[in-house]
Amino acid sequence: MRIERRLRQGWPWMALVVFLVVPFLLPEGFYLDLLMFTFMYAAMSVGWDIMGGYAGYVSLGHVGFFGLGSYAAALLLLRLGVPVFLSAPLVGLGASLLGAGVGFISLRTRGPAFVIVTLTFTYVAQLLMLDLKSVTGGSQGLFLPLLDLPANLVIVPFYYAMLALLVIAVLVSMAIRRSKFGLGLIAIREDEGKAEASGVNTSLYKILAFAISVWFAGTAGALHAQYLNYVDPDLAFELIITLNLIIMSLFGSRGIVWGPVLGAFIIYPLSAYLVFLLPSRLAGQLHLVALGIVLVLVVMFLPDGVIRTYQAWRKRGPKDHRPVEARDPIVEVAG
Amino acid sequence: MSVTTPQPGGSAPPASEQGEDLVIRSVAKSFGGITALSDCSLEVKAGSITALIGPNGSGKTTLFNCVTGFYRPEGGTVRFGDAPLTGLRPNEVVHLGVARTFQITRIFKNMTVLENMIVPIRQLGLRTLFTAGIKGHERERAEGLLEFFGIAFLRDEPAGSLSFGQQKLLELAAALMADPKMLMLDEPAGGLNPVMIDRLVAYIRELNARGMTFLIIEHNMGFVMELCEPIIVMHRGRVIASGAPHVVRADPVVLDAYLGD
Repeated sequence: MRIERRLRQGWPWMALVVFLVVPFLLPEGFYLDLLMFTFMYAAMSVGWDIMGGYAGYVSLGHVGFFGLGSYAAALLLLRLGVPVFLSAPLVGLGASLLGAGVGFISLRTRGPAFVIVTLTFTYVAQLLMLDLKSVTGGSQGLFLPLLDLPANLVIVPFYYAMLALLVIAVLVSMAIRRSKFGLGLIAIREDEGKAEASGVNTSLYKILAFAISVWFAGTAGALHAQYLNYVDPDLAFELIITLNLIIMSLFGSRGIVWGPVLGAFIIYPLSAYLVFLLPSRLAGQLHLVALGIVLVLVVMFLPDGVIRTYQAWRKRGPKDHRPVEARDPIVEVAG
Repeated sequence: MSVTTPQPGGSAPPASEQGEDLVIRSVAKSFGGITALSDCSLEVKAGSITALIGPNGSGKTTLFNCVTGFYRPEGGTVRFGDAPLTGLRPNEVVHLGVARTFQITRIFKNMTVLENMIVPIRQLGLRTLFTAGIKGHERERAEGLLEFFGIAFLRDEPAGSLSFGQQKLLELAAALMADPKMLMLDEPAGGLNPVMIDRLVAYIRELNARGMTFLIIEHNMGFVMELCEPIIVMHRGRVIASGAPHVVRADPVVLDAYLGD
C-alpha cells in the first residue's frame, strides 16, 4: 500500500530525473528532438488548459501568441543582441500583457465572443508580420544567427529549456488548481452566472487566467524561433499548433493538471511517427487528416479524456456488468 | 461590517434600525415590446422578512434581476443603505451586502459541498487569491454554517449528488458565506415537502433574529402568511398593495389581481 502510494506521488520526480539524464544517455538528435517538441507541446497545452480546462473558455488564439513570441525574440536578438534564452521569459510576459488586452476586449461578456476574437487575433497577428516588411522581412521571414555550439550539441540547451518550461507549467497549473483562483475558474466553467452571483469577479478571473495561459505560448514561441534559427509568417502562425494543444488537452482530460501532459506525450510522438512513415510529399496533408480523425474519435468515444474516464472506471469498478443505461453517470465535464 | 453577520452558535445583536434599507424607486424594464416592470417602487426595511408575491409574470424575478445586477434597468434607481446598486455587476452587489438565490436552484454540481461554500468568500487582492484553497478558519466557518443547516455530513460529496432539498439548503448556506446583510430568496419553498418547509421557516426566523434582512418571492401562501411581514404584491410590473398579511389578504385589489380577468 505504502509503496504504491509513494510510487503514485513520486513518479513525476522519477520521470523528471530520467528526462534530465536522457541527453547523456541518448545523444542522438532524433530522440532529443522528439522529446523536446513533446515538452514544448505539453507545456503549451497545460497553459491552454488553464483557460480552456479550468475556466472552460476555448482559445483558438494560442498560436498567435506563439508566433508573436517568435518574432519578438528574433527582433530582440537581431536589433538589440539579447540572447533568446534570456529574452524568452520576458517575451512571454509581453504575450501575457497582450493576452490581457485581448481578454479585456473579449472576456467582459460571456460566451462565444472569446473564441471568435482569439481566432481573429491569430490572423491579424499573421497579417501584421507579413505586411510590416521593413521590420519583419515579410514573407521572407527573419534569419537568426546560429548558436555557437557543435552541431550535435545544439539541441541540448533547447531540450532543457523546454523541459524547464514544462516543469513550470505543471507547477503553475497545480498551484492554480489548489488556490481560490482555481476554484473560482472552475466555478465559472460550471455556471458563470452563479459564480458572479456568488461574488466572483468573473471578468478579472478570466482575463488573468488567459494572461497566464498565453505566457507559455509566447515563451515557447521565442525558444522555437532560435531553435529553427528562422521565423516566417507561415511557420510561426500555423493553426495546427493551436489545434494540437486542444486535442492534447481533450485527449488527456481537460481541467486536470496531468491531462494535457499525458495527451502531449501520446499525441506528439504518434504524429511525429506518422510524419516519419508517410511519403514526405503527402505527410503534411495526411497528417492533418489523421489529427482530424483523432479529434473526432476523442470527442465521440472519449469525451471526458483518458484520465477522467479511467478515474470513473476505477471508482465504478471494472466488475460493473449492468447495461450502460443503468450505471451511474460519469461525472460530466461542463463547458 | 460583520456585526449583522449570522454566526451560528454565536450571539449577534438583534435586528436594529441601524441596518440598511433596500429602496427601489421607479424601476422600469422591458424585453422587446413587453413591459416587465414599469414605475416599480418599493422598500425593504432592514431587519424585516418581506415577501414579494404576485401572479406569474408580474415581474418579481425581473425585479430581483434588476436589483442584483443581472439586468440593467431602463429607468429608476436601486439603493441599499447609502450605496446605489443601479448599474453594478452582480459580484459588486454581493459585496455591498445583498446576496441572492435562484428560482431554479443553482449550485456548482461537480464541486464538493465544501468547495461550493468556499467560492463566495470574498477575495481582496491577488495575494489571498493565490494562497491555498481552503484556510482553516474558512473551513470552520463553512462547516459551522453547514451544521446549522444540517448538511455538514455531506461536506465532501459532489454537490450534484445531494437531494433537491439539500441542494436548496446548500445554495442558501453558500449565499451566507459572502457575508450579506440582506438575502433575496427566489421561491425558497418551491418543490419542498412540508417537513422541509417547516425547517426552512425555522432557519429563516433564526437568521432574521440575528439581524439578517429577507426579501422572499414565494407562491406558497401558507409559508408567506406565517413567516413574512410586510407582504408586497406586484401585478403587471408594478406594486399594487403592501402591508401586513391580514391587510393584504383582505385587499380587493389583490383579490382582483389573482382571481380577476
